[in-house]
Amino acid sequence: MRIERRWLSRIGSAVFAAALLYPFTAFFARIGPWQWGPEVRDPALASVRVSLLLTSLAMVIIVVVGTPVAAYIVRCSSRERLVWQALLLIPILLPPLALGILLTLAFGPYGSVGAWLEHYGIVMTNSATAFVTTQVYVGMGYYVLGAVAALDAVPYMLQKHAALLGLTPVKVFFRVTLPLSRLGLAVALSLAWVRAVGEFGAVVVTAYYPSGMPVQLWVNLQSFGLPAVMPLLVVFLAIALPFPWLIHVLAQRRRHA
Amino acid sequence: MLKVQFNKKRRELNVSVSLELEQGEALGLFGASGAGKSTVLACIAGIEEPDEGLIELEKLRLFPPSLPLHKRPVGYLTQDPGLFPHLSVKENICFGIPRNQGQGKQQLDWIATLRERLRLGPLWNAPAALISAGQARRVGLARMLARKPPLLLLDEPFAGLDRQLVRELIDDLVFWNRTIGFSMIAVDHQAEVLRRLCPRQAVVLEQGQIIQRGTWEELCSSPGTPLLRSLLAPL
Repeated sequence: MRIERRWLSRIGSAVFAAALLYPFTAFFARIGPWQWGPEVRDPALASVRVSLLLTSLAMVIIVVVGTPVAAYIVRCSSRERLVWQALLLIPILLPPLALGILLTLAFGPYGSVGAWLEHYGIVMTNSATAFVTTQVYVGMGYYVLGAVAALDAVPYMLQKHAALLGLTPVKVFFRVTLPLSRLGLAVALSLAWVRAVGEFGAVVVTAYYPSGMPVQLWVNLQSFGLPAVMPLLVVFLAIALPFPWLIHVLAQRRRHA
Repeated sequence: MLKVQFNKKRRELNVSVSLELEQGEALGLFGASGAGKSTVLACIAGIEEPDEGLIELEKLRLFPPSLPLHKRPVGYLTQDPGLFPHLSVKENICFGIPRNQGQGKQQLDWIATLRERLRLGPLWNAPAALISAGQARRVGLARMLARKPPLLLLDEPFAGLDRQLVRELIDDLVFWNRTIGFSMIAVDHQAEVLRRLCPRQAVVLEQGQIIQRGTWEELCSSPGTPLLRSLLAPL
């Protein structure tokens, strides 16, 4: 009876896993030959370049700004921390389209900051700057909240011991806090990456040009149909999925080690 | 000389102490669990901040204002030695030594002495995360002593260790206390450990207040309170 139960749960789990992975069978769907002619290939490759370069730049900004903010939040009183967490949840919980419209209005020529930036030649709609800004807004909350959890996991007293051994706070961060939290920070960054690189709703409003991969997928779908989408979809998944997937697997292995 | 005089309110306990310690002396801080002993050490180390008072080591003002931890010339060892798990034993011990000093002959000789005396040779390149609790305590002691701080603060550093190891570590500390001349304040609730480590003088804390001070002979012959009498009595 016990063995049967075990087999039942194994079969149930296998069905569940198969259901999770089932969407990937779409690659074998009968939609005719995939299109990769120049009219599809050139804009697709340009969108890959845009997504990789500009999302990487957005990640640099997120890490440089978000890590000190997370380090600050970790040392806050519980009440102040709650306020910060509530604040960081706002861009996460905002529907992407709403975020896109808000960003366009706030940073576009109708907003005070947008008008000021435009005065200095920085265009905040349909530009690389708009693309990066949107991705920073989209990914920052994920990174900072994840980074807070990662930094929180480093024992407070270890950092005190390091300071008592003569290390300045900056050195304590780089020699103790960072090495002990790097996997958690990588997990946080991978979440921000996957969220930003796959962002469509907000980016399609703020930066239809230069088109990143999600927008280009949409354009291909509208203009040429499904066969023109599939090659870029493969590239998109190959870029978006492995890094966060590997980081999460590594983090789980470390947790269970 | 170390001068300590401060008040610190901590939940139900109001810790209020006044101590003076000459350079090279060892002082045992004795009392029951929850008497405020660890708070005293934490305030001197800078882990906690007193509400008011004055803490000075020689001419260096530790409080007020609270001197940043990295500028405090103190060694602080607790029951959990706080080894850095991502580093090896060697890297832990050399952690606080500035790079320009680390290669000096004197410093290298001192590290070699610590390594030999505390029998750390076989562990030298082992990851700190993988050594036993007793070994970790020896590494923590070596790491604290590597910088030769003028003041050591020991908060029950031998709790949970076997008697043989405790005896060895105490003998090492007493030996270095005499040869190097650092001052030392040790906390423990076992009188025999404290008496061996700080044989000359002790201060007794109860409910955050100093209730008695003197030599161990004086404390044993006329304990000031029934609690102290029972703490000093053999099991």
